[in-house]
Amino acid sequence: MFTDATRAIAHKELSDKLKSKWVVVIGSGFALFTLVITYFGGAPAGVSGFMSIDASIASLTSLVTYFIPILALTLGGGIIADEQEKGTLGIFLASPISVGEFIMGKFAGLAIALILSIVAGLGIAGAILIFKTGIDAVGPFLVFVVNSVILGVIFLSVSFLISILLYERTKVIALTIFVWLLFTIIYDLALIGLLIITKGEIGISLFSILLMFNPVDIYRILNFISIGEFQVLIGLASVELPAYIRTSMLLGISLIWIIAPLGISYYYFKKRYLE
Amino acid sequence: MILELKDVSKSYEKIVAVDAVSIEIKEGEVLGLVGPNGSGKSTLLKIMLGIARPTSGKVLVNGEELSEKGWKEFKRSVGYMPERVSFYDNLTGTETLRLFARVKGGRLRSLKGVIDRILSEDVLQRKVGGYSKGMRQRLNLAQALLNEPDFLVLDEPTSGLDPVGIKEFYDILDEVKSRKKLTAILSSHILAEIEDKTNRVAVIKNGSLKAIGRLEELCSGMKIPLRLYITISRKDVFLESLLKKEGAVDLSYKNGYLIASISRKNKLELISAIMDEKDRFSDFSIREPSLEEVFFGVH
Repeated sequence: MFTDATRAIAHKELSDKLKSKWVVVIGSGFALFTLVITYFGGAPAGVSGFMSIDASIASLTSLVTYFIPILALTLGGGIIADEQEKGTLGIFLASPISVGEFIMGKFAGLAIALILSIVAGLGIAGAILIFKTGIDAVGPFLVFVVNSVILGVIFLSVSFLISILLYERTKVIALTIFVWLLFTIIYDLALIGLLIITKGEIGISLFSILLMFNPVDIYRILNFISIGEFQVLIGLASVELPAYIRTSMLLGISLIWIIAPLGISYYYFKKRYLE
Repeated sequence: MILELKDVSKSYEKIVAVDAVSIEIKEGEVLGLVGPNGSGKSTLLKIMLGIARPTSGKVLVNGEELSEKGWKEFKRSVGYMPERVSFYDNLTGTETLRLFARVKGGRLRSLKGVIDRILSEDVLQRKVGGYSKGMRQRLNLAQALLNEPDFLVLDEPTSGLDPVGIKEFYDILDEVKSRKKLTAILSSHILAEIEDKTNRVAVIKNGSLKAIGRLEELCSGMKIPLRLYITISRKDVFLESLLKKEGAVDLSYKNGYLIASISRKNKLELISAIMDEKDRFSDFSIREPSLEEVFFGVH
């Protein structure tokens, strides 16, 4: 699958982002946010300064759940529209590469750029936190970074689907914003509404299943169960989950969340451009 | 290599973009594809390139229908120059060609001689963002030649070029053709280009193939008359009546010429008749109809 053509396309996407300083700017901005959050995260309780690693991760989780999805969605949202506007899409389609190679090349290049910016952004704050709180913070923070990267890659995959379904840029932007709002705010509000309507009688199993349809909730739960004992009261992740909700299961579902949109993208790309 | 379309149609929901087109493209020939905007030319080119699948009919390459794998292999020997490509502003010309060379499985180094002819080293090292329209078209041609194609598809290749650029473009194409046997399809609105540079012309209108053949064949088949140009300083009623008597029609005066349409069948008799009155004019010539006249004759 990673043919020379795929690598060439991936290299082009990544070097575009490096040359345009996208990685540097986003990484720096993200780092600044994370530093501010970790230092002032306890302000509502009248506390300032760097807190424990679990408390810091709890604060950062809130930032990440809003920031990384919109970052990833906007990163991949214009991939097809760009090639069409430049007239280069026809050259790729008339070249001896498969649709899979084309999509994988684009995805790989952008994913690497996204991962670099997330790691840079969180890494700087993480280094300071570890310095302040001790070496024991390394493990949990690394897990947090990996979970954040997974969240970003999921939304990058979703952005590809948006880009291929809608090739008009204005429509892509509109759907991107809607998808971001859906997963970061609307979905959880709807679940809260469901809890209220059913007076909490919905059943934990069904509720847990419903959480799996939102990658942001999956991310929160992953942090909750894989990082420390701190009771992270972040939205719906405070619900006591069934025992079968484990890290391995959540990682598996995350993988589905990455592969499925790419698979659907592949199908629709072929349908739209090659039939 | 021979590419053949047999009764190929392509519909998008209720719109018929291509309607039962049958064309055979012979090895080594340059086929001109001409038609107005929306006539189905681009869709036809996409079908030939394997970018669009026909709704019905067959596309045969060397007599065989191709599988998905077969199309991928076929594309290794195809060069496509789409219309209106702006490329990537932040890449240099060399970086752009290197990208497409890797995508096509070609090697930039082996084509240095050809590429140098199309774009100078100095230009290739500059970012495409600073290129003129003409330079981008040259870059477009260069990328189409990257994998040393056997089959070249050029969609409005000289769009945006000035007359010097157009001449240089065709000089380069002739040079490429001299190096190896090349089959090409040239789609253009500049009908004079098609006339001079193609072996055959296919005229497309409303998705249908209206006519195909050598220009002379199309003209004689469509009974498009020849045009007689008599160089004359003033109106000559006698000469007019003589021409009409010999079957000439559509007489007019323009820019020092008496112009008339004459039939191919009796052109010799007409020439003989006007030569008897050669004191009345200084010169004459007979011209084949232009592609505009064939084209507009179809339409």
